[in-house]
Amino acid sequence: MPFIKEILKCDSLSIVGLEKNVGKTECLNYILLRLPLHEIKVAVTSIGIDGESKDQVTGTKKPEIYLREGMLFSTAETFYRRKKLVSEVVDIMNERSSLGRVVTGKVEIGGKIMLSGPSSTPSLKRWVSSVKELGAGLTIIDGAISRLSLASPAVSKAMILSTGAAFSSNLGTLVGKTAYVVELINLPAVGESLSERLDLIESGVWGVDRYGNLFDFGLKSSLASGVVQMEIPSGTEYVYSAGALTDTLVKKIANSGKVENITLVVRDFTKIFVDMLLYRNFVHRGGRIEVLQKSRLLAVCVNPVAPNGFVLDSDLLCEKLRETTGFAVYDIVKNRYDL
Amino acid sequence: MTFKSLLDIDCGIRFMYDRLPLSSSSARTMLLESRAMTSKREIDLRYGKLNSLYNKECREIASKLTCLKDISNTIGRLGAGAVLDDIELFEIKYLATVSRDVAELMQKKRISVVNLPDLGDVMKILDPDSLNIPSFYIYDSYSSELAAVRKRMKALTGLGDRIPDENQARELAGLQQKNDELEEGVRRELSLKLSDKAGKLGHTLKNLSLLDIMIASVAQMKEMGLCFPAVVENGETFYKGMFNPAVKEAVEQKGGRYVQVDISFSRLPVTVVGANMGGKSVVLKSLALNQILAQFGLGIAAQTCCVSIVDKILFCIGDDQNAEKGISSFAAEMLAVNEVVEGVSRGENMLALLDEPARATNPIEGTALVEGLLDVLQHAAGSTILATHYNIVNRNVKRYRVAGLKEGKMDYSLIETESGDVPHEAIAIAQQLGVNKEWIESTKKYLN
Repeated sequence: MPFIKEILKCDSLSIVGLEKNVGKTECLNYILLRLPLHEIKVAVTSIGIDGESKDQVTGTKKPEIYLREGMLFSTAETFYRRKKLVSEVVDIMNERSSLGRVVTGKVEIGGKIMLSGPSSTPSLKRWVSSVKELGAGLTIIDGAISRLSLASPAVSKAMILSTGAAFSSNLGTLVGKTAYVVELINLPAVGESLSERLDLIESGVWGVDRYGNLFDFGLKSSLASGVVQMEIPSGTEYVYSAGALTDTLVKKIANSGKVENITLVVRDFTKIFVDMLLYRNFVHRGGRIEVLQKSRLLAVCVNPVAPNGFVLDSDLLCEKLRETTGFAVYDIVKNRYDL
Repeated sequence: MTFKSLLDIDCGIRFMYDRLPLSSSSARTMLLESRAMTSKREIDLRYGKLNSLYNKECREIASKLTCLKDISNTIGRLGAGAVLDDIELFEIKYLATVSRDVAELMQKKRISVVNLPDLGDVMKILDPDSLNIPSFYIYDSYSSELAAVRKRMKALTGLGDRIPDENQARELAGLQQKNDELEEGVRRELSLKLSDKAGKLGHTLKNLSLLDIMIASVAQMKEMGLCFPAVVENGETFYKGMFNPAVKEAVEQKGGRYVQVDISFSRLPVTVVGANMGGKSVVLKSLALNQILAQFGLGIAAQTCCVSIVDKILFCIGDDQNAEKGISSFAAEMLAVNEVVEGVSRGENMLALLDEPARATNPIEGTALVEGLLDVLQHAAGSTILATHYNIVNRNVKRYRVAGLKEGKMDYSLIETESGDVPHEAIAIAQQLGVNKEWIESTKKYLN
């Protein structure tokens, strides 16, 4: 039973797919089937629409989410009414979407359901605290494509990454791109005392000198045009971008002649919007990026089948990814890990 | 006059609304949609209730009321004979439990400002196993047939840690369908049983919202030092120590001291004269604010007061550049003031507050326009208070003057006076503002 024990050590988990059809829902079902529910109360939700029996875009068959007796789940009113399980309404959240309010239910008899819960970071945080109040010891969020920001450690501390042939049908590219995301997720955290100070800053670009003095570069964000002209005083040890980290700022540091002495800091890995080659070049020249909040990556799951029918060699894919990332990699569908 | 329609009057009412510590969105909606009370009996009754709440500890009730949700749509559907779904039945049950908990707390604290109907029969229908929890689903005990179907389903799903095989899945799908049909039958029955309780449920929701509004009002009164008014219908209004909480907060944040004012008036029109920046507009704003507060049964921003009820409030600031309609500030103002005149001639009981009417034209015609207006307003059924810089000679008015500059400092208090002379402090104030010296000297030459 790979990584289930690891999950039980966490109180919050998100499952993130790097593309549609990379087997994220299978991965979720795998976990949900194997969690020892007599030990822990589990609450599940999904960002945006998920659990649909057919993919809305490509029309490929998708597995439904199967929930077991005793689990808590949150989904839109519309989907609650279409559930194929027996459940009790325990709460109605104030969050509203086009599919109605988010309803929290408790499963009485297991079955299938479509999940579509809160869709912003603050509303996910509210969801986490509301189900914790209902006794949930583990919250699981099914992340949506291109919504990596919602997998931020602000909402869930641990994550499982789902990737596959749908992300890229070239084995080398797939491994490279996946390894890049894994590398970002695993960026080290800055020291605790600095982290506490920087955590209070909500916007702008800031510096910290060797004496620990904090100073403002006077920029609204690393997207501001002023980044190009930014003067980095000698003795600067850290440059903190409170919002997104962009190519421009990384280039600025890389070309400052002080790249080895400066550590770039961001809130968490979801704030990094830097081109892969640029990042590699930056690291190669001695650049460092650290985060305030670190995510804990538990495993990488792969689906070697792309929606267009293209199939990669599962064993080779797992092997290459394991080699490159140093992480446990699983093809859950093929290997049908025993219970 | 709904509360919502008055929120945009620039008199500080939005500030009061924003600071009202309401617990539920349902109370918020109720307040916004409510109409101004225009009968003394109704207003007195409301203040009587606030008074009885004043020394009670209501924090627990307020905290319970944060759970109150506006389910008027659901109650409406129930009353109309619709079959409610699980989510709606949950809402009904939830309202019943909130109401029960609040009723218990009210009894404990000996509070009786609203009447909460007994919803024991609703709870009995929606809580057949007497579990006493707000969550809801179609319980097995509603139907033995349903219970049997579910028993079989449970046997097939077991612990739920294995995906059912094909045969099991087929049987489960059939059972699920049967379950859904039976559940729908139970829902139909429950909705029918509950339909005649819709009136009672609507009443409960309304009274819980009202309770929330009253508890919030009392909290605001204590927080801001507001008072209960004496309410009359004879046109006699007075305020002692009147203030405007929004302006007061702004002044105090800048380290200043807010000066409260006293004012009284009846049917006779009132003029307020005084130096620029002497607080004439604030007086008018405070009068508008307090009239609104009184007619919605909220605490009044004064030490003591007596408020006469009106049917309408007209607050005309006068610098309303109505560019959209393509008319000048003068034209816009004339039309607004004309509304007052027309209303008075129709015999409407209104409080008209006019800030420097006819200020945007030449002082000779401007003065004449104001004098004429005061003549027309002599026989008004309501009250008019107008601030002006013009020398008004009309005898049939009550006059107030802002105390004005004293040793270079502004005294904002109001003094009742006999003469219509306006203070001549404009230049002194301009000087204090630090405007160009040459300009001031040159101006003085013209005065002499």
